[in-house]
Amino acid sequence: MQVDALIGSRCASQRSEAAVDIVSLNKWYGTFHVLRDVDLRVEPGQQIVICGPSGSGKSTLIRCINQLERHQRGQIFIHGCEVSPKTRALHELRRDVGMVFQHFNLFPHLTVLQNCTLALRRARGIARQEAEDVARHYLERVRIPEQMGKYPSQLSGGQQQRVAIARALCMRPKVMLFDEPTSALDPEMINEVLDVMIELARDGMTMLCVTHEMGFARKVADSIVFMDGGRIVEQAPPLEFFANPQNERTRTFLGQIL
Amino acid sequence: MSFVDILIGIFDGFGVTASVTLWGMAYAVPFALVFGILQHFTTGPVRFAVTSIIEFWRSSPVIVLLFVFYYTLPTIGITLSGITVAAMALGLNIGGYGSQAVRAALQSLDPGQVEAGKALGLRRIQILMLIELPQAFKAMTPTFINQFIQLIKGTALVSLITLTDMTFRAKEISQLQYDPVGTYTALLVAYFIVCYPATIFGRWVEKRVAISERTQGEI
Repeated sequence: MQVDALIGSRCASQRSEAAVDIVSLNKWYGTFHVLRDVDLRVEPGQQIVICGPSGSGKSTLIRCINQLERHQRGQIFIHGCEVSPKTRALHELRRDVGMVFQHFNLFPHLTVLQNCTLALRRARGIARQEAEDVARHYLERVRIPEQMGKYPSQLSGGQQQRVAIARALCMRPKVMLFDEPTSALDPEMINEVLDVMIELARDGMTMLCVTHEMGFARKVADSIVFMDGGRIVEQAPPLEFFANPQNERTRTFLGQIL
Repeated sequence: MSFVDILIGIFDGFGVTASVTLWGMAYAVPFALVFGILQHFTTGPVRFAVTSIIEFWRSSPVIVLLFVFYYTLPTIGITLSGITVAAMALGLNIGGYGSQAVRAALQSLDPGQVEAGKALGLRRIQILMLIELPQAFKAMTPTFINQFIQLIKGTALVSLITLTDMTFRAKEISQLQYDPVGTYTALLVAYFIVCYPATIFGRWVEKRVAISERTQGEI
């Protein structure tokens, strides 16, 4: 109750209506400057794909949004609420931001169903029966309802990643962050995960995806962000981005991966 | 006195050996958990303090701890029963080792587990209780059982602070019978009878842990 009031007051000074608004973000790892004056605005319902060479800061950028990484300068707003290393009720803000990791990070000691209900029950305080109904709904959406009683290690990589997506969706997040969701998968499993993500995008979920799947980017992205050396070098809608990249480094990058 | 009579005589002290062991575990397990977790989470001066307490119990000879607490505490007005002193000294010594198993088990977990918990909006304490500890317990169990056996054997020392455990009984019998060879052989057999079931239980648990990991690894 008190915490709600706290968040309410902090968000009262709403800076913008954007789902995610990143303003001149800077981050250092020791002396290494990973993010340099990054500005990025994501409207509700938009899908943004972030790409770039490894070490360009793209994972760090989306990990700053839910503060798995702390930034040193600049601001991040999620639906008008500022998230910063000083944010008190960080765990409450994170409930509205789903995240899917490269290595799935499912809980190996829990079944697929328990993986999905854990946070619903413990963070949202929802009763078991109701939580299981929600979990079943999302497991059906990612097309693995029949695996509910299994443990993560009994599933294939693609299945595990779809469970991880369902687990995040169960919290009914306002924004979904994907950190290279298909990079750890065998090639034949990539599409089953991408199909789920495409459906999610079509349903209007606000998404930020770090990925090198340019086919996916072409299909769903409202905007593609290219990062290099900790900066956003170029940002454009897919058609423009692929047909007419403005920056030399973007051209080199596209030349290498397409 | 036949060998069996000696053995029965030694087992008069089983009650003390068992209660020192069980009370010792009552000190060891909470100490290991609390200090192992604290060492995992703290930094700076707090961590130094935590480490110092662990090292005090872990690095002191148990016999010295027993004497210090049994003979010197009364001089400053604190009188504890022999069983309490024995359980505390042995338990916290074993707990000191146990804390390192707890810390190592927590540190060996994939950091992605904590990140996933955070990303789902769980509090740090919930992540510890629901995600980290249940996984760490698995890694800790074999070590804990080994230390339980260490503790049983360690209780032989309490005969030196006048507790009538199995070793103390053996000393009495050997003095009465003038048969140190027979008596102490019987004592060895007595400890084997007590410890071996624990060893078998430990092996069984280790196997169970290994099996559950293997079946989970199948696709």
